[in-house]
Amino acid sequence: MDEKKLHPDQLYIEGLLQNNSAIINTIYKKFVPKVKNYIRTNSGDDDEAQDVIQEVLITIYNQAKTNGLQLTCPFDAYFFLLCKRRWLNELKKSSNKEVTLQDENVSIEESVQEMTFQTEVFDDKQSLFDEMFQKLGEKCQEVLKLSFVTKTMEEVAEKLNVTYGYVRKKKSLCTGQLTEMIQQSTRYKSLKY
Amino acid sequence: MNEELYITFENYFNNEMSQEEQLEFENQLQNDADIQQKFEIYKDANKFLETKFSSETEAFKQNLEAISNEHFAEKVEKKTKVIAFKPWQYAVAASVAILVGSWFYMQNNIPHYGDYSTPETAMFVERSVGDANLKEAQNAFNAKDYKKAVASFEKVTDLKNPELQYFYAISLIETNNYAKAEILLNNIKSGTSVYKDKATWYLALSNLKQKKLEECKTYLKQLPADAEDYDKAQELLKKLD
Repeated sequence: MDEKKLHPDQLYIEGLLQNNSAIINTIYKKFVPKVKNYIRTNSGDDDEAQDVIQEVLITIYNQAKTNGLQLTCPFDAYFFLLCKRRWLNELKKSSNKEVTLQDENVSIEESVQEMTFQTEVFDDKQSLFDEMFQKLGEKCQEVLKLSFVTKTMEEVAEKLNVTYGYVRKKKSLCTGQLTEMIQQSTRYKSLKY
Repeated sequence: MNEELYITFENYFNNEMSQEEQLEFENQLQNDADIQQKFEIYKDANKFLETKFSSETEAFKQNLEAISNEHFAEKVEKKTKVIAFKPWQYAVAASVAILVGSWFYMQNNIPHYGDYSTPETAMFVERSVGDANLKEAQNAFNAKDYKKAVASFEKVTDLKNPELQYFYAISLIETNNYAKAEILLNNIKSGTSVYKDKATWYLALSNLKQKKLEECKTYLKQLPADAEDYDKAQELLKKLD
């Protein structure tokens, strides 16, 4: 994907991907206080900070798991910028809150901006897929869920008490339906794919 | 909706096509932008669903939630602990101070990290060409400027070599970055390089520096008798017991 060099902080990405508690703890000890402080001084409280941080870490995990994530900048800066921008978006949504912005003119390294951008594009896409999945019929949601939770399609057929052929066909048609809903959505067209 | 199209997609992904069918499909894909777009979305939808419903993802979210709650609970506790002192509490505080003082005094009997950590001189640059950050890291390390060494190591792009990881880990221990250091050391320890036993020894020392004496002992006991630091390890074990 990129000839850029991998940053040693990739170990945090791998740690998240492997659900390594020691590394997740280190992230909370080393990098979270700064984010918390930022949100607190910008009209937020601890609960809101906790949510933003958790959402960002889940997004990073999802990206790493789905497409692979090659960190080319320090984790600290990347993580902070993601949290900060997510928080600013939250503030915009509930614009009755007074927004006092800090350090807006601090220059950010290009590699950090690029990584952050990549992750935000991924997150947009993921939330679009999620939204459309929720719009599928109940039966489709069930078949799709089962076909990914269960090891083999034979087992899925058994669970649903239908034939293997039926499940296979149903799975491809449901994924097809999801595909068309996404393709036709205005949000998909505006995604920087 | 063109049902056949999606059944074809699924067959294609599952490698259930004859070579002829496959060629025909790939040809169709190349010449039809709309089918191409559908194919890309279909592929992404599969990946998206796989991540979404993976049991690993579920486990990660739960673990994250637990760790997050732990960290945020700590802060709330600390906040509520700021209470004004009543006169009698000064007496309590004074006795606590004495206790803490004597604890520090007793600490002197516990062996210190500094007594045992005698890292060799780093000489990795001669063998690996190029990276200026490595040269800087080596110089800083040998000058015992570990903070600078860590900063330089962080800029190095390829740290796969166990020798580099070893010196990076020692610099991290010296600057109290234990978690990161121990990840690196465990990595070396599970490998087959000549730094394998050295890594075990420094895992013990890292724990010693953090006063985690039981963990320290566990690592010391893992050192094989032919390890370079075996004698020092035995001596340290005796002092800890």
